[in-house]
Amino acid sequence: MTAPPVPALGGSHDEGLARALAAIVGERRVLERPGELRAYESDGLPGYQRRPSLAVFPGTREETVAVVRLLAERGVRYVPRGAGTGLSGGALADDVVLLGLHRLTRIISIDADNARAVVEPGVVNSTLSRATAPFGLQYAPDPSSQTACTIGGNVAENAGGPHCLKYGVTLNHVLAVTALLPSGEIVELGNAAGEAEGYDLLGAFIGSEGCFGIALDVTVRLVRTPQAVHTLLADFSSVTAAAEAVSAIIASGIVPAALEMMDAATIQAVEASIYAAGYPTDAAAILLIEIDGAAAGLGEDAARVARFCTEAGARAVRAATDPADRARLWQGRKKAFGAMGRLAPHLAIQDAVVPRTRLPQVLAEIAAIGRKHGVQVCNVFHAGDGNLHPNLPYDGSDPVQSAHVHHAMKEIMQACIDAGGTITGEHGIGLDKLPYMERLFSDETLGAMCALRTVFDPDRRSNPGKVVPVHSCREWHGAPSARRRSA
Amino acid sequence: MARRTVGAPAFGVTVASLPDSAEAVAARVRDARANRASLRITGARQWLDAGRPCDAVDELSLAALRGVTEYERGDFTITVRAATPLAEIDAVTAREGQWLALQPFGSTDGTIGATIATASWGPLASAYGTPRDQLLGCEVVTGVGEVVRAGGRVVKNVAGFDLSRLMTGAWGTLGAITEVTMRLRARPEVDRTLAIVAEGGADAFCAAAWRWLRASPYAPLAAELCTASLATRLGLEGRTLLLVRLGGNEAFVRAAEESVATLGTTLNVETDVWTRLRTLEPRGSAVIRLGALPSELGSVWSAASTVVERGGGWAHATLERGVVRCVVPTSDGAEASERVRGIIDQLDAPGSRIVERLPAPLWASIASSAGDPLSSAVRRTFDPDGVLNPGILAPLS
Repeated sequence: MTAPPVPALGGSHDEGLARALAAIVGERRVLERPGELRAYESDGLPGYQRRPSLAVFPGTREETVAVVRLLAERGVRYVPRGAGTGLSGGALADDVVLLGLHRLTRIISIDADNARAVVEPGVVNSTLSRATAPFGLQYAPDPSSQTACTIGGNVAENAGGPHCLKYGVTLNHVLAVTALLPSGEIVELGNAAGEAEGYDLLGAFIGSEGCFGIALDVTVRLVRTPQAVHTLLADFSSVTAAAEAVSAIIASGIVPAALEMMDAATIQAVEASIYAAGYPTDAAAILLIEIDGAAAGLGEDAARVARFCTEAGARAVRAATDPADRARLWQGRKKAFGAMGRLAPHLAIQDAVVPRTRLPQVLAEIAAIGRKHGVQVCNVFHAGDGNLHPNLPYDGSDPVQSAHVHHAMKEIMQACIDAGGTITGEHGIGLDKLPYMERLFSDETLGAMCALRTVFDPDRRSNPGKVVPVHSCREWHGAPSARRRSA
Repeated sequence: MARRTVGAPAFGVTVASLPDSAEAVAARVRDARANRASLRITGARQWLDAGRPCDAVDELSLAALRGVTEYERGDFTITVRAATPLAEIDAVTAREGQWLALQPFGSTDGTIGATIATASWGPLASAYGTPRDQLLGCEVVTGVGEVVRAGGRVVKNVAGFDLSRLMTGAWGTLGAITEVTMRLRARPEVDRTLAIVAEGGADAFCAAAWRWLRASPYAPLAAELCTASLATRLGLEGRTLLLVRLGGNEAFVRAAEESVATLGTTLNVETDVWTRLRTLEPRGSAVIRLGALPSELGSVWSAASTVVERGGGWAHATLERGVVRCVVPTSDGAEASERVRGIIDQLDAPGSRIVERLPAPLWASIASSAGDPLSSAVRRTFDPDGVLNPGILAPLS
């Protein structure tokens, strides 16, 4: 069994630890100096900096196992990290060890006959789809960061993306995981070659934000590359009209592959950036809609979707003319967060989800909250899922601005909860949304989540302090001993 | 009153005393725990004939937890109490042109709570996945009598650890499900079914059908390979048939029909064949599901279908999921049990072998599906004293 956690790890990890880690991964793969560690102080969400006590980067499965077992023996806390593109501060290591997995980049196998692949956690999302494309297959979840983010990180966050509207999120595409528990024990979750039976521990593991362990390999399901794709750009003179078009499309039963909205502030940021996509800069909102599948009958569906937009008040609906035009339209959407970097040094990013019937009302409330606090709100989001991303650019060095943004964030989150929604659809809780968990879940539910974590990580050493507020992790019920795993 | 079922104790609970809220269920669980008693969770009593051993002292009937709590038509979500029958959900959603695209095997009198608790699925899983893919959130009462509300009511949600997935297929051993929120789908504009006659060897036909599924742009709602004995029971020609259900607009379905026809001679079939397939197996049947990589399902299919047909049963395969479901009707008596055991002992597959239903006496020989250390620890966490459905998945360790 593992030793009890070292009580006061502080910033002064002992030198022996660095030496022991270096013996496993090589000296170059252990970083200790503050200057070297600076690159690992943030993830994809600007505004939080946490310095790890040291960083270690194993290059093979064996090294990874050895590192985690060493950390277990010494009771050392650590934070697993993929590409560091997360948007919730989930991969920040606050004075604990950062365990980087981005060197584990092997695509272990592609089984085209059965439309599945086995990959190491550090494989980049879009690299996998590129590798499977020659077989007419793709990996469906496509976070906007897909050219950088890793499959391991996707599993940790249960990542989504624009095309999850039709195809489903990471959970729906992972068949099995070989998990390395914080104790150093290796367990197989799910079933790569048949049906899984018993408790859905794989389902629990996916989206556990690195708190339940590390995926050493991941077996994913691949989907057919669509035979035909129609990409439409609809241009609206009001956000409400665009939101009503979304509700009408969804209610019709047509399931677009993607249904994305961008408001005027976002359009202008994109068009002023190197990612300019040719969006109409005088529009109050645009919808980027993609319909895919068999060519037969697809044109009819696309025409119906265009009609819903026109009926809701679209000024124009245009179709992408060729693959290059389509790629350009999508690049603007996928790089929108990056384009907002031009507006201010920091960006508060929200990820709430509301029922799709409430979109017009909630978007109006968000606009009112922005006006009230005098902060800019840039909306770019997965409208088809009701998954909002109201982003608030600000200057973190200005305490007044920061306070306004903080208050606006809280009110937006509450408006989404009040509309029957949730606080995160795909980015995860991490550090950023921790304060909102108690608004969403009861003490009993948070306690149950904590208890589940304790099954996977009895000492709570893996990604400590994330997802569930520490004070919710009281003794959940009168049987503390039951939560301990037997040796 | 409750009919006495093999493997289940006789219960004597009056309707007036049934808990009608999660809080009332929680109070019952806390009482049972304090009294060192145990509870067998029941709804419509449709799943009891799964025959699984359960050594509970008392019944915890959730039958009073019935009805739709919230139906967000425009959002394609529905929140229902656990003992709501699937038939009722079907009726409510059909009026809006929607459906809960699960349609598991068994009576439509079965409840949504039992469907989630047992992770039951049917042919539509080809297109829409299993309960874990369609459950958005649930309310459960744990074995310590606490009410936990997992997930939410929106279609996308990653807030916190995923307790909903954990409850799906746990057979009530981690918590009694009192309410669920499910994702709904639009009923297809056109919904047509074809049967393709399997020519040549079953093994080769199975492989050809899978290749079509894997490469064709016409993903069907369902594609189910049926043995000749099953085809006869469905009122179709008594040959090995592939039933293909196509949904979409008219242009799509017409093109898909043409594409499917490349697999062999096609027959038009009424869509209600799927209802017959769901409901034709007698209560008390033995049901074993065999799993393999879809490309390797042909040999599993050939071997299994021969065994079950010889034994008076039938089989059908959900190609997309790589699963052959073998059904053997049974009758009472030790001799009949031995006969069934003889049949099921011959059923095996490289990927998975899941015992879905079995006459009670035969369960003793089946290994637990939740006996690994991690699963045992999860069980002890949510139900430390083994109050809920003890023994139904695994003995408490």
